[in-house]
Amino acid sequence: MMENTMETASADNAFSTFHLGASLFGINRLEIQEINKNVEITQVPHPSDYIKGIINLRGQIVTIIDLGRKLGLNPVRKHTDNKNIIVHSENEHIGLLVDAIHDVVHATPHDIEPAPSNIGEIKGKYLQGVLKNENHLIGILNTTEILKD
Amino acid sequence: MAQTSSGTINEPDDTNDRTNASIRVHVGFLDTLMTLAGELVLSRNQLLQGVTTGNLRATEISSQRIDMITSGLQETIMKTRMQPMAKMLNRLNPVVRDQSQQVGKSVALVIEGSEVELDKTILESISNPLTQLVKNCIAHGIETPGERERTGKKAIGNIRVRAFHDAGQVNILISDDGNGLDPLNITNASGNGADLTGVVAHIETLGGLLELDSKKGVGTDITIKLPLTLAIIPSQITCVGRERYAVPQVNLDELLRIPLDQVKERIEKVGDANVVRLRGELLPLLDLSQMLGIEKKYVDLTTGTTLADRRKHIADRRSKRHSLNKEAAVIERVPDLALKLPDRASKDRRSGTRNAVNIAVVSAGAYTYGLIVDQLQDSEEIVVKPVGRHLKRCLAFAGATIMGDGKVALILDISNLAQIAGLSTLPEVRQLTADSEASMHHEGSKTALLTFKNSENEYFAVPLDSVERIERIQTAAIEQIGERKVVQYKGGALPLCQLSQVADVPPLTPKEHQEIVVFKIKDRELGLMVNPPMDTASVFLEIDATTLRQPAIKGSMILHNHTTLMVDVLELARAIHPEWVQ
Repeated sequence: MMENTMETASADNAFSTFHLGASLFGINRLEIQEINKNVEITQVPHPSDYIKGIINLRGQIVTIIDLGRKLGLNPVRKHTDNKNIIVHSENEHIGLLVDAIHDVVHATPHDIEPAPSNIGEIKGKYLQGVLKNENHLIGILNTTEILKD
Repeated sequence: MAQTSSGTINEPDDTNDRTNASIRVHVGFLDTLMTLAGELVLSRNQLLQGVTTGNLRATEISSQRIDMITSGLQETIMKTRMQPMAKMLNRLNPVVRDQSQQVGKSVALVIEGSEVELDKTILESISNPLTQLVKNCIAHGIETPGERERTGKKAIGNIRVRAFHDAGQVNILISDDGNGLDPLNITNASGNGADLTGVVAHIETLGGLLELDSKKGVGTDITIKLPLTLAIIPSQITCVGRERYAVPQVNLDELLRIPLDQVKERIEKVGDANVVRLRGELLPLLDLSQMLGIEKKYVDLTTGTTLADRRKHIADRRSKRHSLNKEAAVIERVPDLALKLPDRASKDRRSGTRNAVNIAVVSAGAYTYGLIVDQLQDSEEIVVKPVGRHLKRCLAFAGATIMGDGKVALILDISNLAQIAGLSTLPEVRQLTADSEASMHHEGSKTALLTFKNSENEYFAVPLDSVERIERIQTAAIEQIGERKVVQYKGGALPLCQLSQVADVPPLTPKEHQEIVVFKIKDRELGLMVNPPMDTASVFLEIDATTLRQPAIKGSMILHNHTTLMVDVLELARAIHPEWVQ
């Protein structure tokens, strides 16, 4: 684990991490409303193929985005481990569909390093940077960019 | 709850949002709401108890009570948002004064029904359109005092604005005693033309309608019909594939179900598009599954499983087709041979109710069309919910709703769907079919042909009007008399022949049954033995009369990618029975 034993584990310093294919990514916990198991998604025919559909979240209609597709990676493969990460964005909630949830990682924004150029096919603007955690490289996502329509 | 529950269907002007952040509500409503809330608490307790103790009866009773209380709440809350129209209507007075002065006319305004109430949001939203309509009325409807006196009217023009309830809707009637408005010219009138289409569009966004009734020289009546509330709309639920789609009741005209055996009569084609004939009118058809890219499904009645419906074509190949080509606009009639040919109907795999075509006839603005869906379900009152910003780009949908089972259904935007599909408006379709039917009366543009085969790869055709009828007989019934063949038919003998007797083609292989095309020559009949399949085609005749010319064969043409030989019936008859034809 990182140097978090010395720091107070506050939401500021926590990142929810998850899998997309073989890669690990993270989102600042402050941006996350909740994480849901994959409920039944109503398909919506849409010009963008990364829009998976919409769900009913306690009376609110929430758009679900296939984060794999959006980032230019493989689409999220249907599995019982799939989860929707519900984030705040402007004045609505949007769900990001991911392959599986991983641990919460404690780190400060300070620890985020610039992404190396060989991070793969992901557009640079979608990444704030990377976090090194044990042997893993976690791509920290810029949700504002990702959720731009 | 501060947040408005209305979604993409209603987007009031920003200015109104900012000005009226509070409303006056009669205390009586608040008392009713308190009582209902109390009732709800009691029923909720009863429900919880019923569920935890497994008491079905208690659960049933409380669910009924909650049903009634919910309706009461819905009604009461809606009423708290209702405001009298007085203030808005009275604002028309200065508008009329100013406008009439500006254009040099004299107009008297009478306002009735100020006490009629309307939902606050709709009220705010309708103010501008109403003003537009009144201004337009003064500018284009009411004549100048001079003109009025010349036609025997009083110099002062009259405009009456009356608000009233009718059939669950609020009506605003704007009547004038002016010159009458030409509906087609409204959109062409300078300046105000564009505003009026905007007005109509706006009213429809509110879920309302605009009706116009005008008499030249007498006056015009414009009626605006508005729903009582925006957030909850009655709708027709339809099903395509595995998803449900709601059609707002205000757009729904009727529901049609065309059983399979009527498809070829009622569904026709105009160019590439499918259309349905409804009480003499042709309506464009929009296949929702095709538009949304969803695989159609149907439920197999025997196994109950949901299967994919692989039919690609809606219209039967025997359906009537209209050509869209204006120069050669002729209706290609594909006559019904089913009466004469062997009975293939029973072998038709597309039978059963599951394959009937389900159509919701909808209209919005200038568009009226039939929406093809997999299933038609119940009519339901639904709560309109806004969709997220990524989906606002999908113009096909006006919002979403949450169904009783918690799943989401999308609400169709009937007007946008039509535009996206590139449908012709109703007047356009009428014009096209009128053109098409008018040119059908041109002689000799296209010829209807009957096609058949001799041997496997030989295709023949003959003009359809020379064909008397088609028969199918048992080969065993054919009698040979000398060199000639006949078959006993209706008390007489029908002479038979085949093409190999006259032209350089191979003879037919004997089979158990024989198809016969019967021609009438003078007052005699001749049966030509042929091979199926027989079909019809309607084409411009372009016969190559030299290359493959032979006795009884006029020439050839290319039909459906095959070289087809045109049979000369008269020559055929002359060759077989020279004594018939002098």
